[in-house]
Amino acid sequence: MRPENYQSVSQPPSNEFELFYGPNHPGIEGNYALKVRVHGDEVTSARADGGYLHRGFEKLMEGRLWIQNIALVPRICVPDPVPMEVCYSLAVEELGGIEVPLRAQWIRVMQLELSRIAAHLFFFGGHAATTGMYTPMFWGITDRDLILDLFEELSGGRVYHIYNIPGGVRRDLPPGYLERVSKTLDYLESRLPDYDNLLFTNKVFVHRATGIGAMTQEQALEWGVTGPNLRATGLAFDVRRDDPYLVYDQLDFDIPVEAAGDAWARSLVRRSELKESLRILRQVVAKLPHIGGAIRAPIPNPLAWNLPAGDVYTRVESSKGELAYYVVSNGGDKPYRVHVRGPSAMHAVQVLEHLATGARIEDVAQIMFSLDACPPEVDR
Amino acid sequence: MSDIDYKDRGSLLNPLKSWAFFGRPPVTEPLEPRAASANYRGFHVNDWEKCVGCSTCQKVCDNAAITMVRIPGLPVDPVKGVRDERPAIDYGRCCWCGLCVDICPTGSLALSREYVHTCTEEQISSYFVLPDSSGMHGKPFGLGWSKTADADLVDLGRQEMRELEPEQRIGNFAEIVAGYDDQQALLEASRCVQCGMCHDACPTHMHAPEYIRAIWQGQIEEAVRLIYETNPFAHVCGRVCTRRCEDACSIGKRGEPIAIRWLKRYAMDAVPHERIKQIAAAGKATTASGRRVAIVGAGPAGLTAAFDLAKKGHAVTVFEALAQPGGMTRWGIPEYRLPYDRIDRDIDVIRSVGVDIRCNVKIGQDITLEELRNTHDAVLIALGLQQGRQTRIPHSEHEKVFRAVDLLNKITAGEPFELPHCAVVIGGGNVAMDIARSLARMQKQQYGQVDVVVTALEDQQHFMADPDEIKEALEEGIVIRDNCGPQGCEISASGKLIGLKTWKVLSIFDEHNRFAPRYDQAGETIHACDTVIEAIGQFADTSLLGDALTESLEWNRGRLKIDAAGRTSESWLWAAGDMVSGPDVVTAVADGHRVAASIHEAMSVMEKTK
Amino acid sequence: MKLAASPPNNVSASLEFLLQEIPGLRTKWAGPRRLRVDLPAETLPALLELLKGRAGYVHLSAISCVDWPTQNEFELVYHLWSYELNVLVMAHIRIPRDPGVYLSVYDLYHPAAFFERDIHEMFGLYFEGSPDMGKFILTEWDGPPPMRKEFDSEAWVMNQFEWQDYRPDWLAEIEAKGGGITTRPQDIRKDGKP
Repeated sequence: MRPENYQSVSQPPSNEFELFYGPNHPGIEGNYALKVRVHGDEVTSARADGGYLHRGFEKLMEGRLWIQNIALVPRICVPDPVPMEVCYSLAVEELGGIEVPLRAQWIRVMQLELSRIAAHLFFFGGHAATTGMYTPMFWGITDRDLILDLFEELSGGRVYHIYNIPGGVRRDLPPGYLERVSKTLDYLESRLPDYDNLLFTNKVFVHRATGIGAMTQEQALEWGVTGPNLRATGLAFDVRRDDPYLVYDQLDFDIPVEAAGDAWARSLVRRSELKESLRILRQVVAKLPHIGGAIRAPIPNPLAWNLPAGDVYTRVESSKGELAYYVVSNGGDKPYRVHVRGPSAMHAVQVLEHLATGARIEDVAQIMFSLDACPPEVDR
Repeated sequence: MSDIDYKDRGSLLNPLKSWAFFGRPPVTEPLEPRAASANYRGFHVNDWEKCVGCSTCQKVCDNAAITMVRIPGLPVDPVKGVRDERPAIDYGRCCWCGLCVDICPTGSLALSREYVHTCTEEQISSYFVLPDSSGMHGKPFGLGWSKTADADLVDLGRQEMRELEPEQRIGNFAEIVAGYDDQQALLEASRCVQCGMCHDACPTHMHAPEYIRAIWQGQIEEAVRLIYETNPFAHVCGRVCTRRCEDACSIGKRGEPIAIRWLKRYAMDAVPHERIKQIAAAGKATTASGRRVAIVGAGPAGLTAAFDLAKKGHAVTVFEALAQPGGMTRWGIPEYRLPYDRIDRDIDVIRSVGVDIRCNVKIGQDITLEELRNTHDAVLIALGLQQGRQTRIPHSEHEKVFRAVDLLNKITAGEPFELPHCAVVIGGGNVAMDIARSLARMQKQQYGQVDVVVTALEDQQHFMADPDEIKEALEEGIVIRDNCGPQGCEISASGKLIGLKTWKVLSIFDEHNRFAPRYDQAGETIHACDTVIEAIGQFADTSLLGDALTESLEWNRGRLKIDAAGRTSESWLWAAGDMVSGPDVVTAVADGHRVAASIHEAMSVMEKTK
Repeated sequence: MKLAASPPNNVSASLEFLLQEIPGLRTKWAGPRRLRVDLPAETLPALLELLKGRAGYVHLSAISCVDWPTQNEFELVYHLWSYELNVLVMAHIRIPRDPGVYLSVYDLYHPAAFFERDIHEMFGLYFEGSPDMGKFILTEWDGPPPMRKEFDSEAWVMNQFEWQDYRPDWLAEIEAKGGGITTRPQDIRKDGKP
C-alpha cells in the first residue's frame, strides 16, 4: 500500500502493536510484506501482504506468441529462473507433441542443477544474514557468481538466460564448456567444508536456527508445503524422482531429508542438496559428450505457430519446491491461459502466517527466509 | 541421511577455522566493465549490407522495442526485395532476448559483447538507437549472440511439391504438378514472415502476405477473396505466373522462398467454383452505369480490364479473333503446365460478373475499330504478341521451318500438322521450352521416342527460361545445346531440310550492352533434323488498326505509345497487355487493372454523348 | 525415453474403480501420471473427499481457473497429487460465469484458501466458505477482475501510459534528408494508438 493511501485507524487502548514488516526487509528475496501484531516481542497474529511485485505475467502471456513468452517466464523467479523456462517449455512441447532431442534434455538438466546450486548459495547467505551473520552471504554471492559466469557463457545472459525454448535449447555448448563446468564443480565441492565450518557446524547458527519456525510433517502436508521445506519434515518426496521429467530417471541421486521441520532442518536439507546437485552435475558432465544430435526439435516459424487445443499441467522441482505450469491452448498462436503455480505461493502466505504466529519478533525474518520464498512467484 | 557431522560437534570454535581466510587474497572485481562472454547478448549490431528492411525483427519483438526507419540513400529495389528501411531499437524496452537475431531472415542482425550505456535524463534519446555494424558507441567489442544454423528460427526449406516422374509425364499432356494438400499448404504458409516484399514486387501488387496468412489460419475463402481483389486470373497465375514475388521473398535470401504461386493455386483449387464466383462478384455495382466499353483481345489484360469495368457497372464487350478466350495463356502455354479447364474457370468467373465475350470476331474484317469507337464510350486493345519473330537466317523460309507460337496454337486447337521426327528449336526462353516439351510428348505418343534439340545463344545458366523448365525438359529427354548461334538451315539436293548450322557463341552483347553476338566459326555444328522451330520472340500484329489509325497514332520504336495509365494518343483508345508491356501474364493483369481504372475515370467525366 | 501412457495397471485400475463411485464422471489418461477427470460441479466435493480419504490425495497442488466467455462459463481445474500413488488427478468442472459462485474446498484442503482468494481477485469468482475473499495482490485496483478475457490489458496500458518520445540526433538528420520513421512498434499491435 502506498503511504499516501494509508489511513490510521483508531484502536482501543492496548499493549499490542501492528508492525509493517516490509515490503523492504532482510527476510525475503524481493518486495513482500508481513503485517504482524506484536504483544511485547511475541507475534500474536501475522497477515501476508503481497502484490508489490505483481506484473501480470499470466495476463501478459496470453497476449504473446508461444515463443515470445520464453523471454518473460524467467522473470517470475529471479534467483532460480531456469525451472521457469524449462517448465513452460515442457508444457508447450507436450501440447505440441514435440519430442525434445536427448542432448537438449541433458543440457536442461545441467542448467536446472546449476540454477539450483546458485539458488541454494543465495539462500544460505540470506538465511545466515537473518541471524546476524554476514560472511556466509558474501561467500554465497561470490560463489554463485561463478555459476552466473557459466550461464553467461552458455546463454549470453547472467540472470535471465532465455536459453530454453520450446523444442530444446537455443545454442549448443561452447567449445570446452564442460571442462569449465567441471572446474567450477571442483571448486564448489572444495568449498563445502568451508561452509560447514562457517555455518552448518557453527554452534551459534545451530542454536539460533534450531526450533525456529518448526512444523510437523502433518502440518506441512495440510498447508501444501513442498520441496526442501517438506523434506525437512521427513517426507522424501521430490518431483525429479517421483514424477520424473527430462532424463532425471536416468540419474543417480539421493533425496536428503531431515526430521525436525524447523529452520535449521530446512537449511540442512538444502546443504545436503548442494552435494546431490554436484553429484548429478558430475554425471551430466560425464554423459553429455556422448550424446550427440540436435539441440532443438524442428519447430515452426514462431510468427505462425498454432498449438493444438488442449491443456497440460507440467511440474518441475525448483530449488523452492513444486513448480507447475497449467497451460491451455485453444488452438491459437498464443496461450489461452497460463497458470503459474509457484511453491512460494504456499510458503510465503499461509505457511508463513502460521509459523510467524507465536514466534518472537526477532525470529520472523529468519522464519521467512528459511522457507526460501520467492515473492514474485506469489504475485506473478 | 545428512553427511554433515553437526549434531555432536557443533562447536563455537568451528568458525574460527575460517580465520585462515585472512591469509587469502580477497575476491576482487575490477571497476571497469569486464569482458563479456563470446555468446553475450549485448547491444545490437546490424550489417546494413545484408539487411533488406523486411521488419521481421519488429514482428517477433515481444517488447515492442523495434521501430522501422526509412533512410534515404540506401538501395531500394522492390523486384529484388530490398527496402531502404532499417530497424531502430528502443533500449528502454528491449530485454535482449535475441529472438530478433534468431529470426532475422537475412542474418544481418546480431548482438554484440558491449553492454554498458548510461546517461542523464536530458540524454534519454540516446536510448533510441539505429544499430549498424559499428556498435552502439562506435567502439568495436566484437560479435556476441549471433545466428547459428542449429538455432535459426527461419524455416529455410520449402514443402516439396509432388510431381509426375519424367517417365510418367513424357507420353501425355497431363498436368505435372500435383498441387499441395491441406497439410502441405498449411506448413508452407506457416513459413511466411509477413514482410510484404512479395506484395511490393508483384506487378499487380497481390495481397500475398494476407492470403498466405489466411491459408495458414484455415480461412481459404478469405484467401480467395484477397486474391480476387487484385487478380481475376487466379487459377492461371496459381500455375504459370512468373512469380516475381518469390524472387523478392525475404526467406529466399538464405533459403528457398515461400512457394507463393503454389499457395495461390492451392487456395483456388480448394474452394468450389460456384463459391469462387460468389466471392469474385462481391462488391459489384448494383446499378448499370449506362457506359459501354469495347475490348479487343480476350487475354489476361483485356479480360482483367473487362472484369474491373463490369464490376463497376459498365457494359463490357470483349471481341476475340480466336475460337476461345484466354489469349496466350490458352494458345501459348501447353496443357501439362496449365490445363484448359483452369483457364475456363477463370473465364467463367469473369463472365459471371457480366462480361460479354464474343469469340471468332476478327476486328478489321467482321467489324472495324471505327465502328467500335462509334458504338462505345471507350475502346481497349489488348492484342497480345501472337506473331513469332523470324531469325531470317539463310533458308529459314523453308516450309519445314516454323514459328513456335504457330505450332503451339495448332496443338491447342487440335489442328493436325506433320509431327517432326527430329526437331531443332532455336531459342532459350519459356516458349522454346514449351514447344520442345510439347513436341517431345507428341513424339513419344506417335513415334515412341523423343528427338528434340534446343539450341540457344546463351549458356545454360543464363537461359531466359525458368530453371524448372530446363530441368524438366532435360529429364524428359530433350537435348540442350547452349552457346549455339544459328547460321542457316541445311537443305539437301532434293530440297529437303536436313539440319541447322550453328556457330559457337563467343559473346552476345557488345561493350555498350547492345545485342551484337560474336561467333567462333571453328565451333560450327550441324544439328541434323527434319524441322527447325524458331522461338526467339513474338511481336504484335497491329494490322487491324487500319492504315488511317496507324497513321494518326503515336508510336515509339515500333510499339504503340501510351501514357502511364495505358491511354494512347487517341483519347478514346487504350492499349494494354503484352503488346505494350512485353510477355508476362501477371504484368498483363496489372495493365488490365490500370487501364480499367483509367477508362472508368475518363468515362465518369465524359459527357454522355452516345 | 518414452514413458508408458498410464501408471502400472494395478494403480490405474484401482483408481478408476474408485472413481466409479462418483456419478457423471469421465476419466481420461492424459499422460503417464496424469488422469484427467471431468465431472459435474456439484459432485466435486464428493470426489475430493473420496480421493483424500481413500487414495491418499492429501496434496492440492493448485486450483486453476480458465475463463470461457463464449460459453459463458468458468472452468475450474483442481490439481491433486497422491504421495502414495504418484498420480496427478486433474478434476475439471464448469460453472456458469453468472453469478460466478462456487463452494470453497478449504475444509478439505487448506491450500485452497490461497488459490480461491487469487481466483476471486483475478476472475471475480466467489467461493462460499473460503476463509478470506479479501484483496491480496491488487490492493489498489478498482477496475474489473483483470484475468477475465474481456479485460484488455494492452488497451488499458496504451490508454494509461505514454510511449517514450525520443528525439535523437540521428533521426533528425535522417528526417532532414526526407526519411524517417515508417512503422512504430505500436503501429503493428492491435490497438495501435499511442
